[in-house]
Amino acid sequence: MKAALRLTIRILTALALIVAIILLYFRFLSVNVTTVALTMLLAILAIATQWGLTESVVASVAAMLGFNYFFLPPIGTFEIADPQNWVALIAFLITAVTASQLSVRARRRTAEADARRREVERLYALGQAMLLSDSVRTSARDAVNSIMRTFEIPGAVLFSKIEDEFFRSDPQTLAISDEQLRMIASSEEPLIDQQTQIAVVPVRLGGQVLGSLGFMGCTLSTAALNAVTYLVAIGMERARSLEEGSKTEALRQSETLKAVLLDALAHDLKTPLTSIKGAVSHLLAQPRDAEERELLTIANEETDRLNRLVVEVLEMARIEAAKFHPDRSPHGVSEIIAAAVKAQEESLKGRRVRLHIPESLPAADVDFEFIQQVLKQLLDNAVKYSPPGSPLTIAAGVAGEKIVISVADHGKGIPEAEQARIFEKFYRGRASRDETLGTGLGLSIAKGIIEAHGGKVWVTSQPGQGSIFSFALPVSKKELVP
Amino acid sequence: MSGAKILVVDDEPQIRRMMRATLTSTGHQVDEARTGEEALEKFREFLPDLVLLDLNMPGMGGVEACKSIRAGSDVPIIILTVRNTEKEKVEALDAGADDYVSKPFGMQELLARIRAALRRAPSSAESGPQRFVSEGLEIDFDGRRVRANGKNVRLTPKEFELLRHLVVHGGKPVPHRELLQAVWGPDYGDETDYLRVFINHLRKKIEPNPAHPKYILTEPWVGYRFAIAEGSEPE
Repeated sequence: MKAALRLTIRILTALALIVAIILLYFRFLSVNVTTVALTMLLAILAIATQWGLTESVVASVAAMLGFNYFFLPPIGTFEIADPQNWVALIAFLITAVTASQLSVRARRRTAEADARRREVERLYALGQAMLLSDSVRTSARDAVNSIMRTFEIPGAVLFSKIEDEFFRSDPQTLAISDEQLRMIASSEEPLIDQQTQIAVVPVRLGGQVLGSLGFMGCTLSTAALNAVTYLVAIGMERARSLEEGSKTEALRQSETLKAVLLDALAHDLKTPLTSIKGAVSHLLAQPRDAEERELLTIANEETDRLNRLVVEVLEMARIEAAKFHPDRSPHGVSEIIAAAVKAQEESLKGRRVRLHIPESLPAADVDFEFIQQVLKQLLDNAVKYSPPGSPLTIAAGVAGEKIVISVADHGKGIPEAEQARIFEKFYRGRASRDETLGTGLGLSIAKGIIEAHGGKVWVTSQPGQGSIFSFALPVSKKELVP
Repeated sequence: MSGAKILVVDDEPQIRRMMRATLTSTGHQVDEARTGEEALEKFREFLPDLVLLDLNMPGMGGVEACKSIRAGSDVPIIILTVRNTEKEKVEALDAGADDYVSKPFGMQELLARIRAALRRAPSSAESGPQRFVSEGLEIDFDGRRVRANGKNVRLTPKEFELLRHLVVHGGKPVPHRELLQAVWGPDYGDETDYLRVFINHLRKKIEPNPAHPKYILTEPWVGYRFAIAEGSEPE
C-alpha cells in the first residue's frame, strides 16, 4: 500500500514538473521549439535518475503530448501538419525512454554494489566481533547480537548442538521455535520464508553440523547468509578449541602441582626414616645381647615397613593423579622376567620356578622398570600366599596383539567372592589379613601400571588349587612391522 | 680400608648427625657440608677420600655439585637420594657419580659401598686390547677415547670400564655378576639394575639405533655380549 501511494505521488510530481515547463515556455518565455524539447528531455532524465522507469515513462508520454499540443503547429490541437515534426516527436519519445532506462539501470547497479559493499562491511564487522570472544557461550551470545546490530535486523537466534543451548538476541525471536531450530540442524536444509522474512539455516563447518541460525526480518542474499553462518561456525569452533586448550592447560598445571607436592611429601617422609634406619641398622651391627637385638630388630623391621607404606601410598597417589606416564620402548619379555626373578632371588630361595616362555616372543612396548615392578609384586604375592617350598610357574605367550604373562602358585587360592576385590586399594584377603604383613596396595599399583600401558590384569583361582595372576600388554608396533 | 676422610653433603641436620656418629664409630674421619656450594669449598679444604652426596638440596643441587667435583678430581662419589627412578639414576651416574644408594638405607650396605668405592675397581687395562675399530665405532682404550657414528663420545669412567670388559670378552656372553664385580668390585653382584642403566646409557652413546642394538646385545638370564662383526677385531 505504502509503495503504491509513493509511486502515485511521484507520478503526480513528475506530471506537475512537465506542466510547469509547458506553462513557463508557453506563457512567459518565447523560445524556439528545440529549446522546449531539450528542457523537457532534461527534466525526464532527472526524473529517471531520481525515481525510476515508470515515473519517467509517464513523464515522457505527457511531455510528448504537451509538446505536440502547445508547440507543434497547428498549435492547440494534437494534429501534426508537417510530417517532419512526426519524426521529431518520435525521436523525442525514444530518446526520453531510452535515457530513462539507461539511467535507471545505472542507478540500480549502484544500489546493488552499495548493498554488496554494505554486506561485506557487515560481514567483516561480524567476523571481528566473533574473534573477540574466547568462550563458546560468550561467542554465541556475541554472534546473535552482532548479527542483529550489523545487519540491522529485528532479531537473530543461534542453536548450538553440542551445548544443546539456544541463544536469542531478543524475546521476539521466539517466533522461530526451538523445535524449528533443532529440525533445521538435523535436516541440514535451510528454510527461507519470504512472506514472514524468516530464514533458518544450518551452521556447518567441515561437514559437521554445529547447530542452526535463525534470522528475523531477513533481507540478506543467499551468499551473505552462507557467509554469516560460516563466520559463526568458525567463531564458535575457535572459541571451543580455546576453551579446551585452557582447560587442558589448567589440568596440566594442577597435575604439575600435584607431582611437585607428592615429591616434597616423599622427601619429607623419607628424611626422618633415613635417620632412624641408619641409626638402628648401625646399632644392630654391633654385638648386642638377645633382648637389645630383638628390640632393635623390631625397630629396624618397622622402619622398613613404614618406608614401604610411604613408597606405595605415594606411588598409588602418583598413578591416580594421572601424572603417571610410563616411559615406553620395545623390550624383550623374557628379559623383563629374568630381571624380576633375579631381583626376587632372595625371597624365591628354596622354590622351584618353572618357566614356560617361547623362544621367539615379540617385544612389548613397555616401561621396563614398571613392568618389572609388577612382576616382582606378583612373585612376592605368590611366595607370600603359598606354602614354603611349593613351586611357582611363570608363563608368557601371545594372544592376538597382546602378550600375556602369568605367575601361578600352588597356594590356598582366592575365594571367588574376593577375586574382584583384591585389586582394590587397601583390600586384603580375609584369610591372610592377620598372617602376612602388607599394605594392601601392591595389586592396585600393579593394576594401575598395567592399565597405564593399555593392558589389563586379572586373576583365575580355584580354592585349594592355587591362583594364576595374568596380565596382557600390547605387542610393540615396531616389531609388528615386517 | 678404615680411616678414610669422608665428606657428607646433606641439607638435613639429623641425617648429617646420624652419618657423623655412625661413620666416626667405624673409624672414618667426617666433615659436613649443607649445600652444593659449601661442598665445593669443603672439598678443597678437607681433601676427602670419598664424598657422600645428597641429590636434593636447595641452591646448587647434588648433580651440579657432582659435576663440579668430577671436573677436577677422580674422588669416589656416592649419591644418596630419596628418589629411586631410572631417570634420576642415569642423571647422577652421568654426572660422574660412582654409585647410587637410595634413602632410607641400612648402614651396613652403605659401609660396604664405601669400602668398594675406596678400593676402586680392578682395571684390566694391562691385559686388554689397545684399540677396537669397526664401521661406525672406534675405541682407543689407552687414550680413553671413543668415537661413534662419526662423533666423539664422552663416557664416564664406569661406562668406559664396562665397555672395555665387554670388548675384551667380545663375542662371548659375560654374566651379570662378572661384569658387576669387574667394574664395581667384589662386593657387588646383585645390582643388575645398575648394569641395565649403564648398558642403556652406553647403547644411547655408541649404538646407531639404541632400540635395536648392534654391538651390546642382551643375553636374557645370563648377561650381556659384545657382538664382534666380521672384519672388525680388537687389536
